[in-house]
Amino acid sequence: MNFPLSIWDISLWIAVMAIILLVTSELIGPYSDYFGDFVIEKTRLRLTALILGAAFMGTVILRVAMPY
Amino acid sequence: MKSSKNNNESEKKQEPVTIQYLMRTLQQLQSEHEALKRELLKSRRIPSGRIGFAFLVIGGATLAGSVVTSSTTLAFIGLGLTFWGALFLFARPVRFVKSTLLDSTALSTYTTVDRMVSHLGYKAKSIYIPPYPTEAYLPEYMKGLKEMIVFIPAEDSTTMPTLEEMAKKQFLLKRPKGVCITPPGFGLSSIIEKELKTAFINIDLERLTNSLPKAVTDNLGLAKGFEINIENDIIHAKIIGSVYNSLYSREQELKSIHFLGCPLASAIACALAKTTGKLVTIAKEKVSPDLQTIDIWYQTLEG
Repeated sequence: MNFPLSIWDISLWIAVMAIILLVTSELIGPYSDYFGDFVIEKTRLRLTALILGAAFMGTVILRVAMPY
Repeated sequence: MKSSKNNNESEKKQEPVTIQYLMRTLQQLQSEHEALKRELLKSRRIPSGRIGFAFLVIGGATLAGSVVTSSTTLAFIGLGLTFWGALFLFARPVRFVKSTLLDSTALSTYTTVDRMVSHLGYKAKSIYIPPYPTEAYLPEYMKGLKEMIVFIPAEDSTTMPTLEEMAKKQFLLKRPKGVCITPPGFGLSSIIEKELKTAFINIDLERLTNSLPKAVTDNLGLAKGFEINIENDIIHAKIIGSVYNSLYSREQELKSIHFLGCPLASAIACALAKTTGKLVTIAKEKVSPDLQTIDIWYQTLEG
């Protein structure tokens, strides 16, 4: 009954999510909050993307500090 | 006798044409009705909040399942669903309202001003008076000068009330005759200031004209398009697809909307008055028949 993912797996997952969100927030940056039927708050999306990016950097630092 | 016969014949010929025309119109209206129905269904789709909550629940269950089965795949799926669920809940806008609500809340203000102006028999004109900066030191009895006001004069003149009268926060003024009210777009102008992260008093007209369109269209979604140009002492603003456009409709029959401006037009007047430090009046306005384009010419006056 252990959680099957190691910290490095989660680090990789965070990196992928951060890239997706950062690219999305950059692409939708020049447009308004409305995309047809879909409404989103761009500032919050960008904030989440930046937090995830920072979290990934944190795991990278951790990896540098503790390589094994 | 002959002419009446001819008339009857021409009427009989016209009848099928009219029926055809009516049929075409009916078909057109039916297709429009169907299109509107589809639009309504689209707008009533499941909100992102519910989707986010469903993702969160399924993701949580999958994560729990991954712990029980020690499955990496399930763990990744669960992590993904939980994350996107949380993101849907976090990034969804929480305070969006229908634009028709904005109109109805603004309507009572204009109706009141209409009643007041017609009762007092005043000329339909307004002068936006810039306030003193909030940081500026003023004695206690002059604190009223820090409030943004709009002066509706009794006569068509640009004579302004004295500082003492404005400082007393009076409603009915005697010299010159007129009334002082809070502009209908005052609250909106404060929101725009917050969005621009600066006070209008601290910026110049060029910076205002550069930053205002983005704040109005992209940040606040008050209009689909917005342009502002300076022509000496005349500032021309073009608002396309404003959320307040129905206030200009003939059904509302509002008079004050034309000299005070809709909340957005009034907010722009407040911004111009604060930025230039001069009196601002709505010199001219033009509304397109479909109410989609509103052109307003503001004029700055020396106080």
